[in-house]
Amino acid sequence: MTARQEPIKGGYVYVPYEGYEYRIFYEEAGEGIPLVCLHTAGTDSREWRHQLCDRDINENFRVIAFDMPWHGKSIPPVGFEKEEYRLTSKFYSEFVVAFCDALGLDRPVIMGSSMGGNICLHLALNFEKKFRALIAVEACDHSPGWHISWLAHPHVHGGEACATSVFGLMAPQSPDEYRWETWWYYSQGGPGIFKGDLYFYSVDHDFRELNEKISGNIPIYFMTGVYDFACTPEMTEKTAEKVKGSETIIMEGIGHFPMCENPETYKEYLMPVLEKITAAEREPVRAGAEASGT
Amino acid sequence: MIGRGKEIMPEFDSEWMNAWQDVVNGDPTMAHIGRNFTTNFLLGFGDMEYVVSVREGRIERINDHLNPDVTWAFGLRGARESWEKFVQRIPPPFFNDIFAMASPLHGHLHIDGDAKVLWQNVRALTWMLARMREVPVAA
Repeated sequence: MTARQEPIKGGYVYVPYEGYEYRIFYEEAGEGIPLVCLHTAGTDSREWRHQLCDRDINENFRVIAFDMPWHGKSIPPVGFEKEEYRLTSKFYSEFVVAFCDALGLDRPVIMGSSMGGNICLHLALNFEKKFRALIAVEACDHSPGWHISWLAHPHVHGGEACATSVFGLMAPQSPDEYRWETWWYYSQGGPGIFKGDLYFYSVDHDFRELNEKISGNIPIYFMTGVYDFACTPEMTEKTAEKVKGSETIIMEGIGHFPMCENPETYKEYLMPVLEKITAAEREPVRAGAEASGT
Repeated sequence: MIGRGKEIMPEFDSEWMNAWQDVVNGDPTMAHIGRNFTTNFLLGFGDMEYVVSVREGRIERINDHLNPDVTWAFGLRGARESWEKFVQRIPPPFFNDIFAMASPLHGHLHIDGDAKVLWQNVRALTWMLARMREVPVAA
């Protein structure tokens, strides 16, 4: 009997950035429009395993999820032990672009959650020509209050503290099995990494004066779950009101980690967004066919 | 809370607290995740306050007569209405977890005292509080 296998294949790519080559782990499945998935603070690409494996998604999209440096199987740069890790808007946005360039991706769609959603705003403002659409999940222009010192303290169990601090961000309707799997991912982050990412999430990321500068040339889909108390639906809506070319989807019965806490419910909201993106790709072909009379 | 039909609001009186103590002390998971959880903490349900004494993950005593001799490391105080939502089988958004309730954006729970002790025991503490949803409905 042949054992069950998933379609995900993993590999490593060296991403050059500011004079250093980062060895980056990524997973992919499917063919079509590149869909690059950004994980949340303190964890890694495992969060996207359901979407990678979903035939309804990967039949039209080359779904790719990678681990940022210091996360998952992407080891930190040499000398990491001497420095305090802090993620910045500059590093994060430029690194996402560098990763996409390293894989030679043609105007990928970015789908990012939490910090991965917040960075979509920076990508829209500064790199719109590099992407064809942005899906900003659990995102807003400013999400204060999470740069918590206890998440990286030698007298506190970092794994249990980080994981337990985010458990309540997930909806009680989400299956226990998946909520505890997400807890597990969070329990495994490197020391200080979750807190360092939250430096971007709650301190460095302040887009409140920049929302209106986004051109609206590429579509941005905001998707936020009602149980998200770090980025509430109200916070997303207030941001989206100021962002041209955006659409907001509020997701009932789900929280801050929709892709991994409840992939079935998330899929109900995600598929219409993906269909809009694939429909937008078909339109130029029809226009050309009409012009040639075929 | 376990029950049939419409959920019955708890009284948060001594009888209810003792029933919660029984659920916690009978829970096999508390035995291993709470084995280093030894402290006193205060729970405030509106005007009703208790000091819960925990030893190695078991609730040894619940004191409802507070005075300066009854010390506690950290306190979790919220309106009764907030806790009523917290203990529902499916709590509404922003009431499903102490960090959700305590978020400065919402302010439904006030946490004070020694934050280090809370964070050192956060896994066992939150598991213990979640057992409130398993307190049997009074007959």
